[in-house]
Amino acid sequence: MAEYWYFADGFEERVRGHLSSSSEAEVDLDFTIPEKDFNAAGKGSSELKNLLKRLGVDSDVLRWIAVASYEAEINVAAHSKGGLMKSAVHDDLIHVSFIDDGPGIADIEQAMIPGFSTADDLVRELGFGAGLGLPNIQKNSDAMHIVSERGNSTLLEFFIFFG
Amino acid sequence: MNRAESKYFHAIQILEDNCTGCTACVRVCPTEAIRVRDRKAYIDPYRCVDCGNCVTVCEFHAIIPASDPLDIINNYKYRLAIISSSFFGQFSEDISYANAKEAVLRLGFDEVAEEASVTDFMIKMIREYIRENREKRPILSSNCPAVVRLIQVKFPSLLPNLFHQEAPMSILTRFLREQICQKMGLKEEEVGIFLIVPCVAHVTAVHQPEGAYKHLQDGAFSTGMIYGKVREIIKDVQNHPSDIDTYPHGLTWALSGVQAELVDADDIRALSVNGIDNVMDILSRVEDHYLDQYDYIVLRSCTNGCVGGCLNVENPFVAMSRIKKMIKEGHSADADITDLETLYRKGEFQVSPLAPRPIMELDKDIKKAIQKMKKINEFLTMLPGLNCSACGSPSCYALAEDIVLGKATLDDCVVLKRKPTDIE
Repeated sequence: MAEYWYFADGFEERVRGHLSSSSEAEVDLDFTIPEKDFNAAGKGSSELKNLLKRLGVDSDVLRWIAVASYEAEINVAAHSKGGLMKSAVHDDLIHVSFIDDGPGIADIEQAMIPGFSTADDLVRELGFGAGLGLPNIQKNSDAMHIVSERGNSTLLEFFIFFG
Repeated sequence: MNRAESKYFHAIQILEDNCTGCTACVRVCPTEAIRVRDRKAYIDPYRCVDCGNCVTVCEFHAIIPASDPLDIINNYKYRLAIISSSFFGQFSEDISYANAKEAVLRLGFDEVAEEASVTDFMIKMIREYIRENREKRPILSSNCPAVVRLIQVKFPSLLPNLFHQEAPMSILTRFLREQICQKMGLKEEEVGIFLIVPCVAHVTAVHQPEGAYKHLQDGAFSTGMIYGKVREIIKDVQNHPSDIDTYPHGLTWALSGVQAELVDADDIRALSVNGIDNVMDILSRVEDHYLDQYDYIVLRSCTNGCVGGCLNVENPFVAMSRIKKMIKEGHSADADITDLETLYRKGEFQVSPLAPRPIMELDKDIKKAIQKMKKINEFLTMLPGLNCSACGSPSCYALAEDIVLGKATLDDCVVLKRKPTDIE
């Protein structure tokens, strides 16, 4: 089982604090992501963006969340057998997690290198699979966490604070 | 809409006597500005962007575009009409461009000018602006008033990306008013300048301009109304025509795609988008910086651009084909743009930055907004999820939001109301 953590400067304590408090989300939004369905992929993050606009989330923060969730949603559609996108809005942050049905990431460190991609021809033909997904999610979030194992499901989650 | 009722004027009027409460308008409104309560539709002036979808969809003539009556031109000593580029696509091919233009003149104007006469100047100005503002990408076109208002209400973070210069008909208005006053020795208020426009958004823009430093035009007439009057006198014009300048090459302004092609250059990549649903999709992607590779995006709320406006009489595809034919076959009069360029360099056509008018936020305080969202979700689970609009709100979600914001009650749901008796 491989695990990967990323924290933007100064965020490790805040994220760990949030996780240990195990506070319940104020608002939840769940979406199913079907395998290789690029017509539907993107709907979850677009709904999430609409929800956050209604909450009045600052436009820069909104863009980080929209980009990170869109990239992650496309990743699940392109590389896995499908999965679930779960967004949890708390008072001061959003926690979005993606749990798929496999087949797992063989080497997370390698997957984090910009330009590295295992996308198949179908995915590339549709204009995805440039190898920027994971680096982009990391760049736009305050913390990112991946748990994966070859042959098993992958969990990717990110945390973005509102202020 | 009564102007005294709200700070926002809209060129859309609801005739209560004709409204059946059918909710067709509620379902097509892109900003969810319309509600039906007590079987009558009403428009939230804060949310409405004047796209005209409701005018087009209403089968009962209950939502009608409000434009000015032609006789208001009699209040002025000198009367100038400025014709929007889409106008000439309205006529069948036996009526020539020059004849149609001359017929407008004979409706009682002293002079007729065309939006199309400044298209070359506009393209030049847009290119220069794109090159001078490298830090802003993409630049968004600002000529369509419905798009500008849509950005104010739904995409306020993109306001700085708007092309911050006046639209062609406003540029012409400023330039020609000054010229006429000098030439004829008239005071500014003695000259009446009127636009002939293809959509309600332009009528609204004449009465309540966004970003303009002063009120520009004295009225707006609908293409449909002028079309009818032109048809009445066209035979006479055809039998006794006189010489009149036309600008067929400038008519490209009415076509969203062709305008983008003109701005496109080796160092400028342009994209053309039309139809308000497409415009919203693209703006959402611009917000997330997925379209930064474009330097300029032409955005038009109506199908194919201004030829799709709801005040036109001809189908937008037919009108577009006719205009393309005119562009191909016609010869444009030479328009001297040096005076316009001088004014542009003096900054005369700049507009003030526009203020956001956000409609999405549930509350200014994010914590309170989250609590409201929680309540909305609670109501949402009680609602049937049919999105039938029978309650008068566009969807179950919208009704839940209306309930939490105190604008409706659970009793408004027609489906829930029936259920208890069914069960008994």
